[in-house]
Amino acid sequence: MNLLFTTLAIMATTASFAQMKATTNKTTFHRETTVVTVIQADEAIIWALLTNAADYPRWNSTVTSIEGQIALGEKIVLKSTLDAKRSFKLKVKEFQPGKKLVWGDGKGQRTYTLANNSDGTVTFSMSERIGGLMFPMYAKYIPSFDENFDTFAADLKKEAELIQSKAN
Amino acid sequence: MVLSSESLTAEFERCSAALKSYILRITANKQDAEDIVQETWIRAQRSLEQFKADSSVKTWLFAIAQNIARDHLRSLKRWPENVGDICKEAAMGDQEFFREAMTIRQTSPQGAFEIREHIAFCFTCVSRSLPLEQQIALMLKEVYEFSVKEISEIMDSNEAMIKYYLHTGRGKMIEVFDKRCALINKEGVCHQCTELNGIFNPKQNAQEEAVKIQMVRDAAKKDKEHLFDLRMKVMQELDPFTSPAATLQLHHLEFDRKVMEQRPEQELTGS
Repeated sequence: MNLLFTTLAIMATTASFAQMKATTNKTTFHRETTVVTVIQADEAIIWALLTNAADYPRWNSTVTSIEGQIALGEKIVLKSTLDAKRSFKLKVKEFQPGKKLVWGDGKGQRTYTLANNSDGTVTFSMSERIGGLMFPMYAKYIPSFDENFDTFAADLKKEAELIQSKAN
Repeated sequence: MVLSSESLTAEFERCSAALKSYILRITANKQDAEDIVQETWIRAQRSLEQFKADSSVKTWLFAIAQNIARDHLRSLKRWPENVGDICKEAAMGDQEFFREAMTIRQTSPQGAFEIREHIAFCFTCVSRSLPLEQQIALMLKEVYEFSVKEISEIMDSNEAMIKYYLHTGRGKMIEVFDKRCALINKEGVCHQCTELNGIFNPKQNAQEEAVKIQMVRDAAKKDKEHLFDLRMKVMQELDPFTSPAATLQLHHLEFDRKVMEQRPEQELTGS
């Protein structure tokens, strides 16, 4: 009985550190993709990775470049592997250090949140909501974000946990 | 614990050489290093009662010094990683530079040219291409061997951020030197240390001298992390103010600083 309990406990712990697959919800006028992962690293490290624009291409295989400064009200130009030919001109709309970051344009909005867990881990969530009245006209031309989101979250988790593991 | 003026003086004397070399290596400016160390002493004496025994006096002095240096450096431009190429080009067209350097070579007791000293000089210049926090954290950890906790006290930051600065700064420097330094990579574009050895020490075989350095001997192993550690060991073993080539290298450093300060802002972004 004890062995069964221990096994279940280990499985539960392992599951809590695993990354959940990105999910997408669609309506007529909107589409929202979300990914959530639990990271064993200090929120300051994750926040630093998310807000240091020039450093993105080093650790994030989905981002080709980000020009500009990631700070409230600033404009950034993002190039992603989602569409290598396009530059996304975005504005940083919310910037709560260690908690929440939002950037976007007229068509969509990307939200990052961090939440500290009681076991010292951090739950990272990233979602992107795109849409509007014209959305049905161009929806079929926008590729799925799911795989890209999975990669983004996995890269972030890997890099943050690597930095956290460095010796003092 | 109350820190007495006598204890402070004794500790300051013990660590002032390291303090001065550290400030030189983050500012790349001899005059700034001397001024900042002096100002550190004055501020420490004035604020003895603010010393808290939860850190060492050495850590406290480094914190004061780096605060002064950081305020000063924030107003200055960062340098590009190819600073060596830029300054070499400027030096080639500047007869005065070579005339002064040759005079130092012939007259100064610290005018010898040493490849290993140039390795340290080179790192001082190239590390100015890092964001300031990364450069400071890297120097404190890798050269002056402070712990992450001590660096967080010196930089008034948290340990997680220091780990981030160290990870990114170290990664960037490894990449730059792997790409540029011909001592560790046959495809490396920079041969300046061996070229200068030919100019300032023509009787010496540069290749023979180079292989006396552990980093060069181990280059074939291609372990980039290990090679970076050996580069830092070269830094640790040298005091840029008292080494046999100090006067000559400080002359080079001063020349580089002037070249970079005169360079237009838009040309200093390629890091």
